[in-house]
Amino acid sequence: MIRKAVDNPAVDSICHIPTGARRRSVPKGWARWVLSAPLLLFLTVFAVLPVFYGLWISLTDQSVLRSDINFIGLANYAAVLTDKAFWSALWFTVWYTVVTTALVLVTGFVLAVLANRRFPGKRGLFTFLLLPIMIAPALMGLMFRLALNGDTGLIPGLLRHFGLDVSLFDPHAVTTLLVVLEVLQWTPFTFLIIYSGLQALPAELFEAASIDGATKLQAIRYITLPLMGPTLFAAGFLRAVDALRTFDVIYVLTGGGPGTITTSLSIYVYKMAFISGSFGVAQAAAVLILLIMIPLAPIIIGRVVAQPWSKK
Amino acid sequence: MTIGAQPPARGHRLNWEGLGATIVVSLAAILVNVPFLTALATSFKTTAAISDPLSLPIGENATLQHYANAAYAAGYDFELYFRNSIVISCSNVVLVLLLGIPSAYAIVRLNLAGRWLLNAVAGLRLLPAIFFVLPLFLMFQNLALIDTVWAMIIVDTFLNIPIAMVLLTRAISELPIEIEEAAQLDGASTYRILLSIVTPLLAPTLVAVATITFLFSWNDYLFAVVMTTTNARTIVAGATNFITSFGVLWGDISAVTVLSVALPVLLSIFAQRYLVQALAAGATK
Repeated sequence: MIRKAVDNPAVDSICHIPTGARRRSVPKGWARWVLSAPLLLFLTVFAVLPVFYGLWISLTDQSVLRSDINFIGLANYAAVLTDKAFWSALWFTVWYTVVTTALVLVTGFVLAVLANRRFPGKRGLFTFLLLPIMIAPALMGLMFRLALNGDTGLIPGLLRHFGLDVSLFDPHAVTTLLVVLEVLQWTPFTFLIIYSGLQALPAELFEAASIDGATKLQAIRYITLPLMGPTLFAAGFLRAVDALRTFDVIYVLTGGGPGTITTSLSIYVYKMAFISGSFGVAQAAAVLILLIMIPLAPIIIGRVVAQPWSKK
Repeated sequence: MTIGAQPPARGHRLNWEGLGATIVVSLAAILVNVPFLTALATSFKTTAAISDPLSLPIGENATLQHYANAAYAAGYDFELYFRNSIVISCSNVVLVLLLGIPSAYAIVRLNLAGRWLLNAVAGLRLLPAIFFVLPLFLMFQNLALIDTVWAMIIVDTFLNIPIAMVLLTRAISELPIEIEEAAQLDGASTYRILLSIVTPLLAPTLVAVATITFLFSWNDYLFAVVMTTTNARTIVAGATNFITSFGVLWGDISAVTVLSVALPVLLSIFAQRYLVQALAAGATK
């Protein structure tokens, strides 16, 4: 304690060491533990404990009906891994994540580049454009249900008006439909992130490029895109993480059907737990989902939310 | 000439481009809001007019009946659900700030636990919520907290702490440390500095954290469906209740949906600056 206190900030501030690594925080004894105790306690009880409890549940035959709980080893994992519905949910979720993330990045980027200039009505239009981000995905699902309803919905109505009679919830159309809806709801989000990133690009680069005779498309290709790499990555990563655990919109809209073709991993677990009532099997599937996502953890820690003060 | 980040408006060519941008952004804004606009229109249309999807809620097609129905429908207690959502979201904001501010300060300024703690908290954001659904459900069942607002307040705090910690630690690290050092020389204790100096300086970030926390708790669906049935049901979970138990009363459903998004929509208009700041900062460095 004392040693640390000595080699810390007083010396720094006297010597004015101009390095980025200057550490100015002082260990102030118990204060830091007192201040953080509530959060640490909260996280221990409601984050750490549930992780271990969840692992335990996945190793038992606990269900909604059973009051006696038996340890059954890895049987639940075997049940999940041999369940065709799990694999189809995994396949659907991965496909859905890759396709929607790619599309929503493209639409967000195009829109951000187009909107990155002065134009009449900008402020009001931005407010309107960002509205879907604020709407609960579950309510968005309800609204889509309304807009897409075969009898009274606006979209089928418009399609009929132009002589097209398609059933949007048909098995062959429904996955495409869900992708379109996801892109509609989350384009404003990627737009917002990418637009904020564009604001931070140095204008001189583009002036220099245009003096050198670069066209706009060339400037976008050779300046904007490379410089926006990290921002695009962050936006895409956040969307992908959300898409991987997608539940609300699909559950409200299709309930995972028709059949199981739109059952995402989260819907699979939810149904296994609260409709089939097999808590053990459901939690084993949840553990497998967790294992799939753990390799992504260093990315969110290292790149997306880099420690703010480490860069200074 | 025109590709700079914010080119000044000159010449008529630029005006054409500006106009083009207006048109493209308007179209995009209308397109992404089709679901909301449809619900809004449907909620004011008479039942007869609803069967024609291309009609507009004007003249004899317009009615407020669906809002009256929504307020007094059997099995859908708008007043209770609305109050629950307000109680849960507001308590959640308070709890997140109470837990978040002191520990963010401890992490940034008092060298708490190096960086692994913030990393671990930020990493929580990545964990699939579905993993925690069953363990928390069974824990709350044992504690007799199912269908109480307490369960929802705890769960929503858990969901919102990661982004709150990222925003708070960043904001604290950007404060000039000289003020705190001066206060320390004057004999102020760490707690005093945090309470009287740091927290007031964080005001804009606190508003951003509060807004985004409120919004996320308001919008939560998965946990609300699992943890609540009637007494603590939130307005969002209640709205989807409506669709399953009442069949195809599209007008009433639209009214319920519009009522459920009214507050977030107002927030997004009046606190947009803070929301944008929070969303963008949560995603980029």
